[in-house]
Amino acid sequence: MTYSTNPARTVFERVHSALPHGLAGEVVAAEPHARPLTRRALAKQRTRRLLLDAAKRLFNERGYEAATVRDIAAAAGLSTGAVFASFVDKADLFGAVIMDDFEALATHLAGADHADATTEASLLRLFSAVFAFQRDHLPLVRAAIGHSWLGHPEAEARMRTGVARILALIDDVLRTGVARGELSSDLDLRLVNEMIWESFLANYRHAIFEACDAEALAARLAAQVRILLAGWMAAAA
Amino acid sequence: MTRARVLTAARDLFDEVGYEETTIRMVAERAGVAVGSVFTTFAGKAELLSQVMADRVEALQAELERLAPHLRGPTVDRLRSVMAVHYGFETRRLRLFVAYVACSFTWPADGAVTPIGRNHRFRGMLIDVLRGGVERGDVRKDVDVDLFIDTLLATYVWNYRRAAQDGADAAALIAAMDRQIGLLFDGVGATP
Repeated sequence: MTYSTNPARTVFERVHSALPHGLAGEVVAAEPHARPLTRRALAKQRTRRLLLDAAKRLFNERGYEAATVRDIAAAAGLSTGAVFASFVDKADLFGAVIMDDFEALATHLAGADHADATTEASLLRLFSAVFAFQRDHLPLVRAAIGHSWLGHPEAEARMRTGVARILALIDDVLRTGVARGELSSDLDLRLVNEMIWESFLANYRHAIFEACDAEALAARLAAQVRILLAGWMAAAA
Repeated sequence: MTRARVLTAARDLFDEVGYEETTIRMVAERAGVAVGSVFTTFAGKAELLSQVMADRVEALQAELERLAPHLRGPTVDRLRSVMAVHYGFETRRLRLFVAYVACSFTWPADGAVTPIGRNHRFRGMLIDVLRGGVERGDVRKDVDVDLFIDTLLATYVWNYRRAAQDGADAAALIAAMDRQIGLLFDGVGATP
């Protein structure tokens, strides 16, 4: 079997070029002509970081409803006024925490190539990396997914941005599978990508009950992927 | 009966104004009972929602039992018919269902509340159709029933976002599910 995709391009580069310009801009950390930040801007950045870290911790420990702005401010060693200077409201702060986490996840995923011998193995590696990254804050991830169902438009827009990257990585793996003849070229890639994604998300609910560790979650998802791809594995060459 | 009035009031409020927006006081007022009497039966809003949805499973079960004798043909199509009934039923109170999904991601595993997909009666209906398929010979004998149901339910639930966020109607959700069940059966279908 030969690989028709160029192995020199990392998965991250493929994702980066596949994303629309606005989204790619968020992925790249440094601005092209960065001026040194003023003291005031630096202080604001530091405050924001303190608040995001405290909020992440409290949202993870208590959930969205029970974590209050007052408690988050106190945990950050700041006033509630400081919160509202940087964020519109609790929902805005929560959304920023989630985006921050997505950014960190993207960086984590970009650092490793997930390509493996088979499509299933590649997806297993990708999802293992995601679950491993999230293992210390699964309640926060669940809160984010739950929150996105309640239809707050800004939260929804932020989810879509963060989600787009992971979908692109899944798409990459599937296309590689087709390119190397492992998966039938008639496979509806968008349909199977969506269903893989939906099983991936549902496993966060499942994890509440089965005391799953990251490896067990990934293995379970891999078994579901196997069901989804079973009818489309091309005959062995 | 107070309990029934409270559950009806909760169901209607969660659906009309939303779960986050509804308070126990609003439920009590709508039901015409004291706030205290709501709390004697239900620990809180989450338990109310959980019971509302458990009752709805019973109502859904009744609809499916009416359908069951008329299910014909290959298992893939029987499953499509069953899921179509689900969508027809739940889209009548879409906001309620969406609130239930949202909560299901954060509810603890303490038994006081039953998140989506964990109701045994609900799963039982789907397991019966699938096992019937194994007996009829058009579903592979080695199918992992629980895993298949979980995969089906993951997609089933996610389709409701199309309704909640894009305004899709029941027919659109059913059409999407038909295709998705098709893909699932590409993997587990067998020839009798």
